[in-house]
Amino acid sequence: MSTEFPSKNGIERRWHVIDAADQVLGKVAATTAKLLMGKHKAIFTPFLDTGDHVIVINAAKVKLTGKKEEQKLYRHFTGYPGGLVEIQARRVRATKPIRMIEDAVFGMLPKTKLGKQMYRKLKVYPGPKHPHAAQQPVACEL
Amino acid sequence: MPRVKRGTHRRNSRRKYLRLASGYYLTKSKLYRAAQEAVERSLRFAYVGRRQKKRDFRSLWIVRINAACRAHGLSYSRFMNGLKRAGIGLDRKVLAEVAAKDEAGFRALAEKAKAALAVA
Repeated sequence: MSTEFPSKNGIERRWHVIDAADQVLGKVAATTAKLLMGKHKAIFTPFLDTGDHVIVINAAKVKLTGKKEEQKLYRHFTGYPGGLVEIQARRVRATKPIRMIEDAVFGMLPKTKLGKQMYRKLKVYPGPKHPHAAQQPVACEL
Repeated sequence: MPRVKRGTHRRNSRRKYLRLASGYYLTKSKLYRAAQEAVERSLRFAYVGRRQKKRDFRSLWIVRINAACRAHGLSYSRFMNGLKRAGIGLDRKVLAEVAAKDEAGFRALAEKAKAALAVA
């Protein structure tokens, strides 16, 4: 008997909540990415999005180890000469804390259209509240 | 000696390539020279692909088994080691199928693996 693949529309998706407060950023991101990709399911299929939806709360309270608060830099290039922008993690946390989680998770997902599709199932909130109570999300232990 | 002309043989050999190239893009399915190049190239890829298929599937089965046995508190390597010690010789293909379709069956396998690991 040949290996079976689930149909695109027959994939059951759940919702998970991850509390990032006092958790290390990489661990939060790795757990989240696994859930988004569906690597925790026995029907994992590389060419389909078999993953679940993930809500990350308390993103502003995520932990960085060592001196990364000062030393970790978030870089992007504007395209103009000398247009490299470097922002310290400390400032990212103050201005846009969800970016720390979003960047870390995005970097752990496949760099494909399917990866982008998986990424859209991620919702990050800086505080303890989220508006997805209707989806009945289940708390996920790290 | 009768005189041999090449017409029939040539037509047959060309037809062979063009048939294999049917459905290819533009001239690759219409013109002999382009079709022959495309067919030979595709046969090379197919040869590689038949071998890669075996590796790709094995790694997919391992990912699926790993996902299933982590739900029972075992990593893939511990699980496989446990099955070996328990004398269960199911291959990865079957294990992946059990994991996907038969939850109770997989739980029984996981329990056996755990028991075998606990003994040693």
